[in-house]
Amino acid sequence: MTVFRPDDETLHAYVDGRLDPAQRAQVAAWLQARPAEAARVAGWKQDADALRAAWAGAEALPANPALSASALRRRVRQRRRTLAGMAASCVLMLGLGTGLGWQLRDSRLGGERLPMADAVAAYRLFADGEQPLEFDPARRTDLQGWLRTHFGAAGAVPDLQAQGFALRGGRLLSTPEGAAAMLVYQDASGARIGLYLRPGSSRLHEGERRDGRLLAQYWSEGGTAFALVGPATQTRMRQIAPLLRGQG
Amino acid sequence: MHELDDESLRAVMPRLRRFAQSLCGDASSADDLVQAALERALRRWSSRRDADALQPWLFAIVYRQFVDTRRRAQRWQRVLALFAPQQPTQAPSAEQVHEGRALLAAFAQLPAEQRALLLLVSVEGFSYRDAATALDLPIGTVMSRLSRAREKLRQIGEGRSGAGPALRVLK
Repeated sequence: MTVFRPDDETLHAYVDGRLDPAQRAQVAAWLQARPAEAARVAGWKQDADALRAAWAGAEALPANPALSASALRRRVRQRRRTLAGMAASCVLMLGLGTGLGWQLRDSRLGGERLPMADAVAAYRLFADGEQPLEFDPARRTDLQGWLRTHFGAAGAVPDLQAQGFALRGGRLLSTPEGAAAMLVYQDASGARIGLYLRPGSSRLHEGERRDGRLLAQYWSEGGTAFALVGPATQTRMRQIAPLLRGQG
Repeated sequence: MHELDDESLRAVMPRLRRFAQSLCGDASSADDLVQAALERALRRWSSRRDADALQPWLFAIVYRQFVDTRRRAQRWQRVLALFAPQQPTQAPSAEQVHEGRALLAAFAQLPAEQRALLLLVSVEGFSYRDAATALDLPIGTVMSRLSRAREKLRQIGEGRSGAGPALRVLK
């Protein structure tokens, strides 16, 4: 028979009852002959039993409602919802940001917050007031040619004689959208209206708006945006605008 | 696929709370630990399939949560220490040692790693393999740590009663 000498691992397994019966008997016999080793192992065993006793009564712990299965699941669901909500709001924020950015870009490119604000500004600059308009009727042909070049069919200079307005001036301007023109007409009493045309931005709808004492009626045809601008008191403009629209 | 149903949760709950108490020391932070760990467990359950490993796995989640929390707390303590160098240490008081539950006081002096292992093996009756799974250790480490933990617990106990051989303390 070989000399049996259990290592510490085996001794711990003995304490924890992890040995099979044959091994257990072998270790017990070995310990019986060695009081020092037996005392050591007995100490471990005693501590383990004392620990078990000290920690006994786990079932008697006061109930904690936060640890009930339903409460745990509820919080997990809440957390999922919170996370989903956060993810959704991130997407929403991104969307809003993109949308706002795009709109800002559009409005920057369009150079306008109000539709055809540039038309009203051009009218104020060139047609408003009493200052004489310097316009050589002979230049009308040049003007016509220039408008044709830039606006094609839309670039016709309308004849408003029948409505009592004669062409008294023309200005060429540069806008962020491209070349623009302001045609100024004047009637016998000196009232002036301006027809403004420039390459249209896609968002321009038909409509009209008051800007101070001015009225701007605007529309677009093909790629060109038009605005008829004049004093709001000039009620004849309401008849002229539909005529011009028909011409384009 | 095994469901982590309410019944098995209810059944294992007192034991998880006890395990957490042996780690944390006080009951309320132990319950907080169990709560956080189980919410984690419920979130990750879908990725688990093995019903046999359920218990060691739940204990493992509690233990990992404890280790993570403690690591965060230690980092925070280090930050605090920069501003307040005289932090009181967390060692148990002499009164604690000498009051009736002397063994628990001695147990509380063990490092958390040894407490966790002793509780799983001696109190929960985990096999060495399950304890290794729960603590995420190789089996060999479990054995050597168990040996050290038991020696140390004896040592503290003997030191308390004044009967310990001086040689062992010197080791």
